[in-house]
Amino acid sequence: MAPAEAKGAENMKLHKDFRVIVYVIAMLLALIVIHPTYDDGLSSNLQYGLDLEGGTSLQLKLEGVIAGVEADPAQIIEEEYSDAFGEIEIIEASETEVIFRTPEPLNKDEIDAIGYGSVHVRDNEVTLTINKEYVIQAYLSRYLECEVVYLGSNMYEIRSAIGESELSDVLAEVGGSIATDMRGKPVFRDAVTKETQKTTEAILSEKLNIWGLKDVPITPVEDNILMVDLAGVDLDTAMEIVATPGKFEIRIQTTENETEHVTWGDHITAVDIPKMRDGAWGVGFTVDGVGANAIRDAAVESGAVDDPEAHELIMLLDDEVIYSAPLASELAESLQELYDKNQDVPSYALVATTGAGDVGKETVEQLYIHLRAGALPVEVDVIGSWQVPAALGAQFKEQTILAGILALLMVALTIFLRYHQKNILIPMVATSVSEVFMILGFAAAIGWQLDLPAIAGIIAVIGTGIDHLVIITDEVLYEGRMPSKKVYLSRIARAFAIIFAAATTTIIAMSPLLFMGFGALKGFAITTIVGVLIGVLIARPVYGRVIRELLE
Amino acid sequence: MDNIKNLVSRFDTYIRTHKPEQLVIPPLIVLVIALIVLGGMYVTTGSPVRLGFQFEGGTIIELDTPDSYDDLKVAFMDYPLIGVSESGNRKMLKFGPMDSDKEESLVAKVNSEYEYATPEIKQADPIYARSLQKQAIKAILISFCLMAVVVFLIFRTFVPSVAVVLSAFSDIMIASAFIAITGIELSLGTIAALLMLIGYSVDSDILLTTRLLKRRGNLDDKVTSAMTTGLTMTSTTLAAILMMYLVSAYSYLIVPSFPQISIISDITIVLLFGLAADLMNTWMLNTGILKWHLQKQRGRRT
Repeated sequence: MAPAEAKGAENMKLHKDFRVIVYVIAMLLALIVIHPTYDDGLSSNLQYGLDLEGGTSLQLKLEGVIAGVEADPAQIIEEEYSDAFGEIEIIEASETEVIFRTPEPLNKDEIDAIGYGSVHVRDNEVTLTINKEYVIQAYLSRYLECEVVYLGSNMYEIRSAIGESELSDVLAEVGGSIATDMRGKPVFRDAVTKETQKTTEAILSEKLNIWGLKDVPITPVEDNILMVDLAGVDLDTAMEIVATPGKFEIRIQTTENETEHVTWGDHITAVDIPKMRDGAWGVGFTVDGVGANAIRDAAVESGAVDDPEAHELIMLLDDEVIYSAPLASELAESLQELYDKNQDVPSYALVATTGAGDVGKETVEQLYIHLRAGALPVEVDVIGSWQVPAALGAQFKEQTILAGILALLMVALTIFLRYHQKNILIPMVATSVSEVFMILGFAAAIGWQLDLPAIAGIIAVIGTGIDHLVIITDEVLYEGRMPSKKVYLSRIARAFAIIFAAATTTIIAMSPLLFMGFGALKGFAITTIVGVLIGVLIARPVYGRVIRELLE
Repeated sequence: MDNIKNLVSRFDTYIRTHKPEQLVIPPLIVLVIALIVLGGMYVTTGSPVRLGFQFEGGTIIELDTPDSYDDLKVAFMDYPLIGVSESGNRKMLKFGPMDSDKEESLVAKVNSEYEYATPEIKQADPIYARSLQKQAIKAILISFCLMAVVVFLIFRTFVPSVAVVLSAFSDIMIASAFIAITGIELSLGTIAALLMLIGYSVDSDILLTTRLLKRRGNLDDKVTSAMTTGLTMTSTTLAAILMMYLVSAYSYLIVPSFPQISIISDITIVLLFGLAADLMNTWMLNTGILKWHLQKQRGRRT
């Protein structure tokens, strides 16, 4: 920057050159967005990746499958109802209605319990009004033990990590199969939909917000991976908050060793701040009407209202028991009363107590986050992680700055050995430094975090940048001195033809990193590409102009 | 300056005094050796280069601890510890894949018992790592093909374009063979470096080809001038990369508590090999082919 301005004062023509103007504006913009300030040490608007700040980076795979399914709903109905009531006989079947005969006359409630459609019974003839997709979805959901969502055109999203053979076996039971595409390959991918990925991202982000981490960068990669960068958090804590679905369930003890499902966490409407009560940590929450009715029915049917001690109410987080205790006796009485009158239970408050001490506190905090933000739609699997302690990150930062400075000095030395002219050396080094400054400005402007690969990219740009300046210099000074204006112009044009060609190949070669699933290398690719563009379009043209002034 | 000039003039004399065919042979022999090395590695180990944990799965833990190898072996006997290596104060423990419960307990153990040792922990899931392998190969192939297309579009003549693409190919193969021989493990950093090399290695070839095709004058003189520029370019780049490599890989020799920055040392070591190969491939292989091509053209014209 210095030579351009110094020269500009003496020479009006240089001052008016639009390339120089663009360059000066770009440098000023970079200065404004980087906004370096000096309080107790240098600070700026630049953001650093957590490999330099310390923290944990997690790559999460969202466990799910998208598959094409071909199955006949009537066959599913036949299998399922025969299992329950003995061989049934299908009388008539269409995509919207199935009529069948059961061996014994049944009542409506018994048939309703199986699900699949709305029921109309006359003696032992049953008319089931169905929806094909719903039947398949409900069937898969029951046997794969997970949520299944219909996506349209016979495609289903199965929200669990199931294998192809597992799905195919479940379908074979009812004469169905995995659909095949035009080339005869089964339509079965390890993937989730964009919506599921977005929902997961949003819930994760909310959980982290409640945890106290604002604006955590979550980057979706491909269609089933999320990368989460958690500054200042260690790996085990990160996994507890991020890598667990946070599925909350209330169950009730039926016999000594058995329990029964009552309700899920999605019927929880309000959650209180965790508090210490009677020496133990606990979190209070409110259950909505549906959940409250489920608890009422379960409490009465299991016998918990009569003998609370033998039928504890159990709360689980991701299938692990976090709380188990008898119903309060007043609650038991009021539930019995409401049940007898067949009255809806208004939403009511419960407390989950997690115990005393640090363990209790930690559990209650996690429970609080999961209750408030809700469960993730799918399970997540940590497929890669990186923990960098803050002290190490600080060392990395120091070392990369040192590497950058030494690299620049070595480059300057090499250039000096070749040209022995400070009129070439100073503009070259200044151009190179200003390119780095503009790249940093760009990073600050778009809020890009500088991580180690990005810094490697910047230093690589110094290397190619100097190369291009050498090409310009040697092309212009072909006979060892500055040629006439006409020759200069044609030489500079040729130099830029070479530089543009070289820059194009570098950008093109890096481009796969931008689109493919190497999240960690995106910073490297972006800085290299942006750096090459800034160099070729803004900084190097000015260098060509400046050396003409200096060497004439 | 004398060094560079000396080097240039020596190299220059060599190129002037040898026929194009003679220039082309040594780099082709090196290329063939590189391919044999990679092929041999592939046949014996199933992969042309050793795969790092990112492509194979596993856990790496780095600790700044005075504990000896034996201490660590005992401390981590419940986990699939594969090996321990040392750089300055920092010990690097490499673990094979393990199930997620085990992994969680390992992380908890390290973060509680070795909190003082500024533990760096890196993990990769084996299944995902394998899919990353395929992606890496795909990225390199796509990148190379795109580069070749761009080169053909720039020059629009067959032989010079092929010469550039061939020498870039050779750079990458020789760099990969070096990776294989020296036992460096393939990591995300080395992949980035190979892609960088694809874009970077053609720079001097493009300079050379443009100078020889588009400028008038004596062929040998044009080669000399291109070489002066090209060698300056490569030496500045080598200087920058060498410094980065030394700082990222060996600063612990001066300050023992300095950690290695593996992603940077991986990128730079591959670029060092690649650029060394590029010197030979640009100024012998590519120059040889171009000289042969231009001499034949001139012969046909007269």
